[in-house]
Amino acid sequence: MRVSFRRQDGLGKVTGDARYVADLSVAGMLHGAFRAAGTSHARILGVDTTPALEFPGVHAVITADDVPEHRHGAFVRDRALFARDVVRWEGEVIAAVAAESPQIARAAAQRIKVDVEPLPPVIDLAATGLPDTTLIHEGWPEYEAHDDVVRHGNVASRSTIVKGDVEKAMAQAGLVVTDRFVADGSHAVPIEPRAMLAEWHADRVTIWSSTQVPFAVRTGVAEALGLRENQVRVVVPHLGGGFGAKCELGFEPQLAALARASRRPVRMVFDRREEFLLPDHRRERMIVSLETGVSEEGAIVARKVHLLIDNGAYSMDEPGLGQLAGMLSAGPYRIPHLEVQVDVVYTTTQPSGSVRAPTAPTVCWAVEQHHDVIAQRLALDPIEFRRRNLVRTGDLGPTGQRYEQAAALETLDRAVELMGPVADLPPGQGIGFACGMWPSFPAASGAFVMIHADGSGVIITGAQECGSGAVMALPLLAAEVLGMAPDDFRVVYQDTDAGPYDPGSSGSQTTLNNGRAVAAAAQEVREQLLDLAAEALEARRDDLVIVDGSIYVRGTPHISVTIRQLAAEAGSSGLLIGRGSGHPGALPAVDATRCTGRLGLESLASPSFFAHAAKVAVDTSTGIVRVLRVVAVHEAGRILNPSGAQGQVCGGVVMGIGQALTESIRLSEEGTQLNPSLLTYKLPTAADVPAVTVDLLELPASADLPVTLKGLGEPPCIPTPGAIANAIAAAIGVRIHHLPMSPEHVWSALAESGRGAAR
Amino acid sequence: MTARYVAPADVTEVIAALAAGYRPIAGGTDLVVRARQTRAELPEALVWLGRVETLRRIAVGERDISIGAMATHRQIAQHARIRTLWTALADAASIIGSPATRATGTIGGNVANASPAADLVAPLLCLDARVELRSEDGARQVGLDELIVGPGRTTLGEALLGEIRMPQPVGRFGSAYVRLGQRRQMEIAIVGAAAALTLDEGGRVSHARVALTAVAPTVRRSSGAEAALIGSDGSDGPLAEAASRAAAEAQPISDVRASDRYRAAMTAVIVQRALETALARARGVAVPIPASDLMPGVV
Repeated sequence: MRVSFRRQDGLGKVTGDARYVADLSVAGMLHGAFRAAGTSHARILGVDTTPALEFPGVHAVITADDVPEHRHGAFVRDRALFARDVVRWEGEVIAAVAAESPQIARAAAQRIKVDVEPLPPVIDLAATGLPDTTLIHEGWPEYEAHDDVVRHGNVASRSTIVKGDVEKAMAQAGLVVTDRFVADGSHAVPIEPRAMLAEWHADRVTIWSSTQVPFAVRTGVAEALGLRENQVRVVVPHLGGGFGAKCELGFEPQLAALARASRRPVRMVFDRREEFLLPDHRRERMIVSLETGVSEEGAIVARKVHLLIDNGAYSMDEPGLGQLAGMLSAGPYRIPHLEVQVDVVYTTTQPSGSVRAPTAPTVCWAVEQHHDVIAQRLALDPIEFRRRNLVRTGDLGPTGQRYEQAAALETLDRAVELMGPVADLPPGQGIGFACGMWPSFPAASGAFVMIHADGSGVIITGAQECGSGAVMALPLLAAEVLGMAPDDFRVVYQDTDAGPYDPGSSGSQTTLNNGRAVAAAAQEVREQLLDLAAEALEARRDDLVIVDGSIYVRGTPHISVTIRQLAAEAGSSGLLIGRGSGHPGALPAVDATRCTGRLGLESLASPSFFAHAAKVAVDTSTGIVRVLRVVAVHEAGRILNPSGAQGQVCGGVVMGIGQALTESIRLSEEGTQLNPSLLTYKLPTAADVPAVTVDLLELPASADLPVTLKGLGEPPCIPTPGAIANAIAAAIGVRIHHLPMSPEHVWSALAESGRGAAR
Repeated sequence: MTARYVAPADVTEVIAALAAGYRPIAGGTDLVVRARQTRAELPEALVWLGRVETLRRIAVGERDISIGAMATHRQIAQHARIRTLWTALADAASIIGSPATRATGTIGGNVANASPAADLVAPLLCLDARVELRSEDGARQVGLDELIVGPGRTTLGEALLGEIRMPQPVGRFGSAYVRLGQRRQMEIAIVGAAAALTLDEGGRVSHARVALTAVAPTVRRSSGAEAALIGSDGSDGPLAEAASRAAAEAQPISDVRASDRYRAAMTAVIVQRALETALARARGVAVPIPASDLMPGVV
């Protein structure tokens, strides 16, 4: 069923009526600012807050001494609220100031005297494993960690995947190809910088925050400040984008502590520079080493992979993401013998964490270039090479997981068809392809559905709307179950005191998990309505149907009762209230007994498959690459909202173009960021966006599958950089091993190969 | 933080405010952005020039053009006579910043900001622009090379940068500005080059100007490149020679936008493209504005 609908937050967002955290103010509110380290690695000898406290207009200054000693982190608890003894990256927070204006707070924060003894920065990713490298976390053996995290020295987490016998298969391969690729880190850059407002009433705190994960923030604040979860309320008024970077606990505990210390509500809104420098989320730097053995017929027989991933100074979700990166290094390909080692290593730089499809675009960029190199060595068309090796339904993944519905080949064929001929292009132009996959993430999630006495409905959900439209599409599911219109429902969302638990807008799983919850809640209301209707119509319950807000006996629509009529009288027999959660479903069975560092990503639920094609023009004198066209074909289960899906794919492609060509966190030798501004950190502009052809492949629903809804938020940015890389190589005959493939990197590669044009 | 702010409509009041220590603000696209990035605080006292009508005027005389300091980039980019006769300036005004900054930013601001990467300055140098400075002591005219003396440094002092004058080109004349940047909009030059050429009746170069952006502490002309062009027939050889000499004169640095090595190599590429475009225009070929979008191999 396809129903066109208008998203409920749309009008407010386009007219400016929608309120974000920075728009909120409460009586007596102060403004907060952080004092960050400003240096990448140093021992703290002393912190003197007196000059800030004496600054006119300052109400409170807090440091590590003013909060409980508490370490947090998803896999390794290595992170504290405020630096105490050592700072390990430039954005590490040392103190927080509450004052009468943001200007006073920032000025006072700069007056705090921080006495430090410099320590050697650890920046070079390739050198982190060397024996004489400074140990960044001297106390790491004492940190609490997930039982399966494998740690050693500066390696925060190591994971391995072993399938078959790689050594033996590699020795028998007809051809072995090795490649090494290096990727810079990049930023998510939401339009709305982080903003928070904390207000205490007695022993309860309300925090309005620009977070993607309100419930994780609630837990994090409660743990950090020694509260129970029912003492913490987290509300997201509207979110101005997150792209993964507003996942995990942010700075809410520090702000809540600051509000408590100043006995006033405190609001903190990052400026753009702070938004670049302070968050513990960036897309990770990575070095990808690949060795693949193929048969003379072009079948992959074995692969060895080493991924060196920059964790930054602290472990956020990166250890788990490292394991995911390892899984994705096989790609959607049949690889009978596989050996993967992933090292997530500490450096004295900004922590890495989830940014839209974490690790996947970088891994795909490397692997798909590698595949074009292999095809070229085999004198095989790169599309044909992929066709021979892509997984089919029933094939086994890296950990022996059986792919129940693998549409990889269909997406590639469709991309080839839509892009058109790859030959006879003008000089300097080329077309490239890349294939990829991304899992679904089943998780606990809850919702209520209620029908009011006038027949209007409400969905009360814990889900978080990051802008993708996933929460806004929930009325479609409730309406479908209840035979009502989507516009009959309002959605109450992203308030932890209102809706049940939800994992937040992360992992492209809102539609999958909260959709399941809303459908289950609506189903309960449906049962209640059918009971009432059976009584009203004196009919057998099983004979009733609900269509367009009316209930009647199948075949006799003229004898009916409306939902509105039933709702008006429902009070006398019990209100129309449904609750839903539903079982998330089991992960596919795997055999990971030979793998280490298993953090839950060894099994990939209901993966979706996709293929992109890119057409580029390269200016061989300057190395400038212009993307002329992108074709994006995605299989994403059932598409609920076609225009929303189209928008998600276009946006993902543009994000992929940015990572491919211009976006890069430039680091100084000390590990500090050189380009923390929108002038020097080069996002694509509207003028850089090419024609994007989106094609959504809907497969027939299968009873065998745990879900028919899959995520589409993250996948669209995954294959774009790889497709662009292969298009560049097709255009100029030179391969670019450095991401982003900036003009200077392309020009250098051309110059080294002797293929550059003089002028 | 700015504590005092005035916006007089009368130019003599503006000059008096400047003499009293107020700093001028035009479009604010440099001043405000710098302050927002916490790189430099806003001056304590500001005088806005936007209410002085005469400062917004573009007047074409019989022998020259006068552009008020408050003329916006958009105004300049859309001006029919500038697009025909002072084409390099139209090229630059069409690509500087974004549509928003072009609607707000001004030619006077771009010059007075004295950035080594200022897009309008290289065309102005090639088009022999002179700047009228007005203070309580009266008015005087200076060349851009006398005004801009270092990165962000000028000899303006407390004077008002009132207007910019350029002589009307005569004969077979063509000019162009080409800039290298990563994106199509919102760019700062990695390298930029302006060129202006006059051809004699025999088609030989009788007058040549070449100026370079973002490869030295200030935007500056390349005398070596100009010398290589005078008397030449505009064939590939002399053009390449001029481009090489320009690159040799460049003093590029490594920064977050590019390495010195890349900038040096790109200087030759971009100068050559600016020369080719200026030459084509001098020969009567209509090359669309802006020239920067017309890189070979790129649609």
